[in-house]
Amino acid sequence: MTTARFADYMKQDSETHGMGLRFSFPPYPVVGMPVSILREYIEGNDPVTGKPLMQEVMDALTKALPEKLKKLKSRKVSQPRLLKPNTEDNLRRLFLKNGWTDGLPIIPPTEERVAEMLKRTSHAPDEVVGAMSISDSVVPQEYTVEKIAVNAVMAGARPEHFPVILAIASTQEAAFPSSTTSFGRMIVVNGPIRKQLVMNSGVGALSPLNFANSVIGRAWTLMTINFGSTRVGETFLASQGNNLNYNNMCIAENEERSVWEPFHVQKGFKPKQSVVSLFRGWSVINSMGAINQRPPHEETLILMKAFCALRSAATLILDPLVAKNLKEIQGFETKEAYSQWLSENVKIPAGQFCKADINYHFMLPFAQQGIEPYATWYNLPDDVLIAPYNNPKNINILVVGGETNAFWLTTDFAYSASVSIDEWR
Amino acid sequence: MIQKKLQRSLKNVLNPQGRPAPGLKPLSILRGSPHKKEEKPRGESAVGIKPLSMAPRLNTLNGKTIYLVDAKFGGGYEFLKEMQAWFSKNMPAVKTVLRSKLGDMFVDDRDLWAEIKEKGDAVVLGVGG
Repeated sequence: MTTARFADYMKQDSETHGMGLRFSFPPYPVVGMPVSILREYIEGNDPVTGKPLMQEVMDALTKALPEKLKKLKSRKVSQPRLLKPNTEDNLRRLFLKNGWTDGLPIIPPTEERVAEMLKRTSHAPDEVVGAMSISDSVVPQEYTVEKIAVNAVMAGARPEHFPVILAIASTQEAAFPSSTTSFGRMIVVNGPIRKQLVMNSGVGALSPLNFANSVIGRAWTLMTINFGSTRVGETFLASQGNNLNYNNMCIAENEERSVWEPFHVQKGFKPKQSVVSLFRGWSVINSMGAINQRPPHEETLILMKAFCALRSAATLILDPLVAKNLKEIQGFETKEAYSQWLSENVKIPAGQFCKADINYHFMLPFAQQGIEPYATWYNLPDDVLIAPYNNPKNINILVVGGETNAFWLTTDFAYSASVSIDEWR
Repeated sequence: MIQKKLQRSLKNVLNPQGRPAPGLKPLSILRGSPHKKEEKPRGESAVGIKPLSMAPRLNTLNGKTIYLVDAKFGGGYEFLKEMQAWFSKNMPAVKTVLRSKLGDMFVDDRDLWAEIKEKGDAVVLGVGG
């Protein structure tokens, strides 16, 4: 059973997997509805078919299957390597019409442009780099080095950006997995390649004002659209979507102005290695003020309480001035020390954590299995304080900014992966 | 001259899309768990997609055991509880077993599937979305 809102999605899902499942669709929504309404749903009609819901359930379990549902063939769609010749204007329209873009104009990926892009990697064009899908309802699409180059050209990337884009593609992660929650993403680049590509880690690093930051982030979005089988309303069901996906917060860490160890070194890489790291979450809060009235760590306690602390994840993006203050005035010698302090000192009522919808879905099952601390938290009275960011290793700290003021961003982003860029040169 | 340039065809533009992968890949949208060993994989890697036949239908539900399985989306358990009450009131000859799947909506609860195979006659799984 799936709510009526997802009727088309579920029919496609079962066909994609070669199984003609029988569905009944109660009205939408089910979540949060009082028992009286749920009872009405049960006793009423399936809004998709108009038939009594329970009669449908009984028929689904007892009525003989029509021949066409006994065995479905999975759909196989082959894509030609080259598109039919056409004018540039018509090709741009075709890309737009086919849903192969983010809505912005693209650079048509001619063989010549793609060949130029391919010169900046030692990997063969036909090497399969990975497979991606934005949800289980679609067959993962595998992609080669050449396909990645096609999308990189479309994004407006230059050949020198290609190793970073390849590294991102090698994670096989989608920039926006299909979730009704609307994921955002962040790309962080460390190491010498930042300077080589003239990436921005200073003033306006997160603004749409830098070529490399823009096209690298955009390339991930286009790869997700074209490799992940993204079709709005069919396979991609984010209820509102996330504007961060236009370039996935692609930034470089300001290693030169940071008082702390670079992020990639924290993850075990050498300082001179070039690395790209990915993060995933939903929300970003600006500090909205500097650190005059309240020191940044105390202000951050307030900001972090706004999030659901799912799996203890948070990522802070600090201007170098804030990092300097935290180390030299507040005494946090390392990023780890700051994460530890935040882990111990962010406190919220147990009810706030336990009744957050996302925690109900993902942390309550752990509590039900007896896993601590969740088993204890879910048995506490609502007003007892807990420290929900119980794993300081999941509180990540980045230093980005141009020191025009001591601001920072507090996000609920979780760390996902770090990959060597050098391996893709 | 300019008019001609605008209408010139591009003959060698590549298709940006990937191709269907030969096997299904397990996908974990919300990766990461504080206790990975407790998580069960959501799917199995398969070599090729093999269509499956639906299980044969029952002649009647009377005397049968139907498992009502909460898929762990919000509201599903409460909805299926009402469905159980409906069966109890309207079709008392049908036995229903209400269960919640292990873990979150992405976890494959193979122990439950094994139990259903052994003790159940039918399953209603819901409510997605």
